[in-house]
Amino acid sequence: MKHFITYRIRLIPTLLALLSLGLLNSAEAQTGLQLKGKVLDQQGLAISGVSVGLPALSKKTATNTYGEFSLHIPRYGKYLIRLSFIGYQTFEKEVNVSAGENSFDFILIEHVSTLENVTVTGKTETQKIKDQSIKTTVIELKEAYNKPATVTELMNRTAGIRIRQTGGLGSAADVSLNGFQGKAIKYFRDGIPLDYLGEGFGLSSLPANMLQRIEVYKGVLPVSLGADALGGAVNLISRRPSNKYMEAGYELASFNTHRLNLNGYYTNPANQWFAGVDAFYNHSDNDYKALVRATDPETRNQYDANVPLFHNAFTGYFVQAYAGLKNRKWADEIRFELSAFSNNKEQQHPALMTDPYGAIVSKQSSVVPSVSYKKTLFNNRLTVNQFVTYNTIKINRIDTLHGQYDWFGNFTPNPLKVGESRQASNSDINSRNFISRTNLAFSITDNHTLELNTVYLSASRDGNDPLGPRFSGTDIDVLSAESSYRKFVTAMGISSDLFDKKINHLLTGKFFNYSASGIEAYEARPVFSDEVKDIGGNSWGIADAIKYEINSRSLIRFSAEYANRLPDHNELFGDAVFVVPNFSLKPERSLNLNLGYRYNKPVSYSVEVNTFYRRTKNLILLVPIQQPYAHFENQENVKGYGMELDGVVYLFRNLLLNANATWQDLRLFNVSSSGGDAEKNDARLRNTPYLFANAGLNYNINKLKFYGYYSFVREYYLETIPKRLEPTGFLGLGGKADINSLLIIPDQHLLSIGTNYPALNNKLSIGLEAKNILNNNLYDNYRIQKAGRSFHLKLNYNIQ
Amino acid sequence: MKKLLSKGLIIGIATITGLSSCSKKNDPDPEPTNPESSKYVLITMSENTLTKPGYATAFDEIPSGNVSNINATSLQGMGMGGWRPYGNWLLKMFNSTGNELGIERLIVSDNKVVVDKFLKATDNTTNGSGNFVINENTGFYWDGSSPLKIQKFNPETLSRTGEIDLTNVVNERGSDEAGILYRSIGQKFLAIKGGKLYANITYATTNGTQKGFWDDFYPDVYIAVIDVASGNYEKTIKIEDTGSIAYINDNNMYSFDTNGDLYIVTQGRSSLGGKSKVVRIKASETDIDKTWELKMDDIMTGGKFVNIFATNGKIITIIPTVALTGGANGNINFSEIWEYYTIDIATKARTKINGVPYVTNPGAAFGTIKVDDKLLLRVNAPSAGLNGYYQLNSDLTAATSLFNVTEGGSVSGFYKINL
Repeated sequence: MKHFITYRIRLIPTLLALLSLGLLNSAEAQTGLQLKGKVLDQQGLAISGVSVGLPALSKKTATNTYGEFSLHIPRYGKYLIRLSFIGYQTFEKEVNVSAGENSFDFILIEHVSTLENVTVTGKTETQKIKDQSIKTTVIELKEAYNKPATVTELMNRTAGIRIRQTGGLGSAADVSLNGFQGKAIKYFRDGIPLDYLGEGFGLSSLPANMLQRIEVYKGVLPVSLGADALGGAVNLISRRPSNKYMEAGYELASFNTHRLNLNGYYTNPANQWFAGVDAFYNHSDNDYKALVRATDPETRNQYDANVPLFHNAFTGYFVQAYAGLKNRKWADEIRFELSAFSNNKEQQHPALMTDPYGAIVSKQSSVVPSVSYKKTLFNNRLTVNQFVTYNTIKINRIDTLHGQYDWFGNFTPNPLKVGESRQASNSDINSRNFISRTNLAFSITDNHTLELNTVYLSASRDGNDPLGPRFSGTDIDVLSAESSYRKFVTAMGISSDLFDKKINHLLTGKFFNYSASGIEAYEARPVFSDEVKDIGGNSWGIADAIKYEINSRSLIRFSAEYANRLPDHNELFGDAVFVVPNFSLKPERSLNLNLGYRYNKPVSYSVEVNTFYRRTKNLILLVPIQQPYAHFENQENVKGYGMELDGVVYLFRNLLLNANATWQDLRLFNVSSSGGDAEKNDARLRNTPYLFANAGLNYNINKLKFYGYYSFVREYYLETIPKRLEPTGFLGLGGKADINSLLIIPDQHLLSIGTNYPALNNKLSIGLEAKNILNNNLYDNYRIQKAGRSFHLKLNYNIQ
Repeated sequence: MKKLLSKGLIIGIATITGLSSCSKKNDPDPEPTNPESSKYVLITMSENTLTKPGYATAFDEIPSGNVSNINATSLQGMGMGGWRPYGNWLLKMFNSTGNELGIERLIVSDNKVVVDKFLKATDNTTNGSGNFVINENTGFYWDGSSPLKIQKFNPETLSRTGEIDLTNVVNERGSDEAGILYRSIGQKFLAIKGGKLYANITYATTNGTQKGFWDDFYPDVYIAVIDVASGNYEKTIKIEDTGSIAYINDNNMYSFDTNGDLYIVTQGRSSLGGKSKVVRIKASETDIDKTWELKMDDIMTGGKFVNIFATNGKIITIIPTVALTGGANGNINFSEIWEYYTIDIATKARTKINGVPYVTNPGAAFGTIKVDDKLLLRVNAPSAGLNGYYQLNSDLTAATSLFNVTEGGSVSGFYKINL
C-alpha cells in the first residue's frame, strides 16, 4: 500500500505550498502578445542570464534559470532578435511571430577571440570548471529543479561517485570517491567547510533547487578549498542569480513525503543592493517496507518478515535570509546571511538492521549568522574574499524508553531497562564553531595567478546527559567538561596558462596545524576531571596539476598529489561513550595520481575517460580495544587504480543518451600476514563498490520531457575476501564470489522513470517520477535497506 | 538420564579412589563419540573490529603445517571472536549475520559450514545477554531484558521455553543500598554441576554501557545455587575478597577438572586485575572450597587470570609477564605478554610450558581445548609469525606446533563434530 502515493497529506505543508503557488500566480498574471523561447548551449543545457533583445522595439530581457524568456510585442510579424552573453557569439536572427508560432529555441555557440596572441575562449562557469587542470565533475542542477530527484540520486548517476545512505530521506549520507570515503572526503558550501552547518545542509535532505551546481573534486583540490582532504571534496555551489526571481516548489511522494522549497532574490535596478531567501522543508515517514529478521517473542527464534518501518520519520527545515550591498567603492559585494535549521530524526535501528527501535530520536538545530566580503583591487589584479561565521549547534539524543519494540511496532514495557540502544541517553550537547576563511588571488601577469587561502576552524563541545557517565567519585557529568579543537590550514598555489592557454598548470602547497584539548574520558576505568590532555601537530601536502588542450574539442590532463588528513576531534577524544581517546593517531597519507582525456563534439557527442592511482597509508579505522569500547587507530594501507568512462550522445535531436561506468581496483597492501591475515594482501577494500554504472535516456516532445535512469552496482563485500575467491571474468563480472559469505551485498539494479511538463507559460513545471519501478530490494551502507517502488509528484513555480 | 547416572557413578569412583586419570571427565560438555564421519571445524576472526568478522571452515582431519581457513566451503560471517561448543554442537553467543547477542548453532552440511539456528536475546545491548549453559536436554541463558530471571531453552531446537524468576534471591541483600545501581543474576557466570545450576549475582555500582563489569559493589562475589530439576533456589554462596567473576562472550572462564571439581576464574577488582583468583567447588560439594584458592597477586602484581583449563589435577592457564595496562596503547589484549603455565592444583607449583612463545590474550576464545584427546593451546604471536594451535605433551610441560593458520585471521576456536 505504501508503494503508492499516500493521501495522508500533512495540512500545513500542503497549504503552504498552495499558498506560495497562488500568491506567485496572482502576482504574475499578465495578458498580451508574446514572443517566447529558450536558449541552450551546444550541450543542450539551458543558459541563464542571456540578454535577449528586440532592437526595433528597444525591448530587452534575460533568460531565467531554465534558459527561458518572453517579451511582449505589440503585434504579430517579423522581428530581429538579438541574443548576447559573455563567452558566446552574439546571435541575431529574424523571426516571424504568428499566432501559431510564437515560441523559438536558440543555441548559442561558444565565442573564441584572439587578443595579442592570447586566445580567450568564452565559457560558462560550469564549463570553465570542467576544463580546469584539476579533474572536476560538475553536476549542473538547473534541469533538476523541476524533477523530484534528490541531490544524492543526482550524484549517484555520475561517474566515479557513490553515495551510501543509511535509509531514506534525511538519513546520513557518505560519499565515496575513487574508493575514499568517510572523513577522507571534505564537504564545502561555496568554498567554506560545511562543519558549521551540521546536518542542516546534509546531502540527503537538500533539494536541488538550493544549489546552482555541485563540484566534485577527486584527488587534487583547488587552492580555494583549504582542507586536509585525503582524496576528494564536494563543493556545493549556491544559486547566485544575477536577476530577481522567485521560485517555489512542492513535492508529494510515497511514504507521506512532503518537500517544499522557496527561493527568491531581488536586486534593485541600479544593482547596488540585494536581498533574498533560500529555504526548504522536508518531511517523510520513510515507512517503506524492509525485509528483516523478526523474532518470535516466546521462542526467540527468528524468521523473515517484510514489514513497514515504523519509527523512521525525518522532519527538517532550513531557512536562510540574506542581504547585501554590491558594486560599491569599498566592496564589490558584502553579504550578510542569517540561517536557521532544525532536524528531527527518528532512529529505527542501530548501524545494522538488527534491532527495531521505537522511540530513539536525535535532533539538531542552530542559528547561523555569517558575513562574506569580496573586493577586487589594483586594476583587478588582486581579489580578496573573506568569510566568517560563528554558531552553536544544539544536538540532542533521546533514548529513555523503559521497554522495547518488535519489528511490528508492538511495545513491551520493561521498568528495569532504560533506553533501547546500548547507551541510554537524554543528552544535550552544544557544539560551537568558528570559521574564518580568507582567499587572496593575485594576477602576477595575465597568465600567472598566485592564490593564497587560509582557513581557521575552531570547535568546542560540552553538554550534559543525566544518563551519561560521571567522573569518578562525583556526580559530575563527563560531558560537562569542554573539549576543543583548532585547525589552521594554509594553501598557496600558482596557476599558469602557457602556450596560448593550451596548457594550464597549477602547483599547490598546503600546511596544516592543529591543536586539541579535552578529557581523556575512558569509562573502562575511573575518569577524573583533571585528566585534561593537550595535543597538537603539523602536517603538509603538495599537489601539481596540468592540462593540455589538444584542440578545441579535446584535452588531456594529469594531476598528482601527496595529501594528508589530520585526525579530527572525535577520532582523538572519542565520544565519551563507546569511543575512547587515542592521542597517538598519525595523519592519514595518500599519493594520488589522475590522468584523463576528453573529447567533445558539440551537439553530437562527448566522451571522457579518467584513470586514477592511489597509494594510501595509515587509514584511520575504529577498532575495539576492550568490550564494548573502541578507539580510532591507524590501520590499513590501500593502493590501486581505477577507470571512469563517461559519455553523452544525441541519438536524435530530441533524444539524449548518457552513460557512465566506474571500475576501481583498490586493494590492501603491506598487511602483516604473521597474524593469519595473509588473505588481506591484495584483497579488495571492504565495504566499497568496485564496479557501478549508470545510463540515462532523455526524450523531448516539444515541451514534454520523458526520462529514465538505470543504475547498476556490482556485488561487493562488507568484509575482505581473498582475491582468489572473487568473481572471475572481465572486470569481475563473472558469477559470484566463491564463498558462502553472509557479508556480501548482492548485485543491485535500480530503474526510475519520469516526465516533466511546463505549463502556465513555462512558469509552472509539473514533474512525475516513479523510482525503483522494479521494486527491487536495494541495499546501502552496511546492508541498510532502501525504499522499494515509490511515486513522486513535483510542482515548481518560477517567476522572474 | 542413563547417561547422567553413569556419569555420577564414574565421578563417585574417581573421588573415592583418587585415580582421576582413569575417570571420565565430569564436565557436562560431553565430547563427540562413535563418529561415523567427523569434521574438524576451525574459526578465525579476520578483523579486529566491533562486529568480529571471520571465517569458519570444516576439515576432514586435524590440519597440519600452514593452513588457510578460507576456501569455497568456508562460512564468512560476523561474531567469530570465539565460541562455546557443547557436545556435538557448535554454539556461539553472537550470530553470524549481524553479531547479535543470543545463541547460534553452526552445522556442517554438504561439507560447508552453515548457520543452523539462532535464539535471539531480547536485549541485544547488555553484555552478557546470551550467556548460556546446557545440561543434557535443558539449557539456561541470561537475557538483559529480564536481569533478575534466568531463561530456559531447548538446546535441540534452540527455542526459549520459559524462565526462572530469582528476583527475591537477588534482593536478599542490598535492596536498600543506594550505591547499587544495577542487579542481575547469571549475567557472567552460569555453570551446572551435580544437578545444580550456579549463577552469579551482580550488584553493580553503574547502570551504563558496562553495567555488571568491573563495578562490583561488594568485595565478595555471590553465586546462587538452583536445583536444575525443580528450578528451586537452594542457597547463595560467595567467593570472598575478589571481583568480576568470569566475563562475557564465549570464553566462560571456568573448567571442570577430570575429577569433577569446578574451577572458577575471577578477574579481580578492575579490568586490569587486582585480587584476581581461581577458586573451586569440589565435585561433591555445592559451596566454594575455602581451603584452596590460587591468587594472581601471589604470582604477578598487576596481573589477572583470563583463561582456564583443568585436567588431571592441573590447571593450564596464561599469566602476564608484565603488569597489565589499558588505554589506547595498553598491553592487555594485543601485546605478546602472556605465557602458558601448568599449575599443579595440590602444590600450586607453576611450570612454564616450554616451546611456546609469548602470546596475546585469547579474549573471547578458549586458550586450551581438547580435541581427539589432544590438549591444544591457542598460540597467537604475530611477531613470531605464529597463529594456530600447539599440542601439549602428556606431562603438560611442553608443546609443539600442530598447525599454523595463515589466512582467515587470528584463531578463535577449533572443535570436532560428528556428522
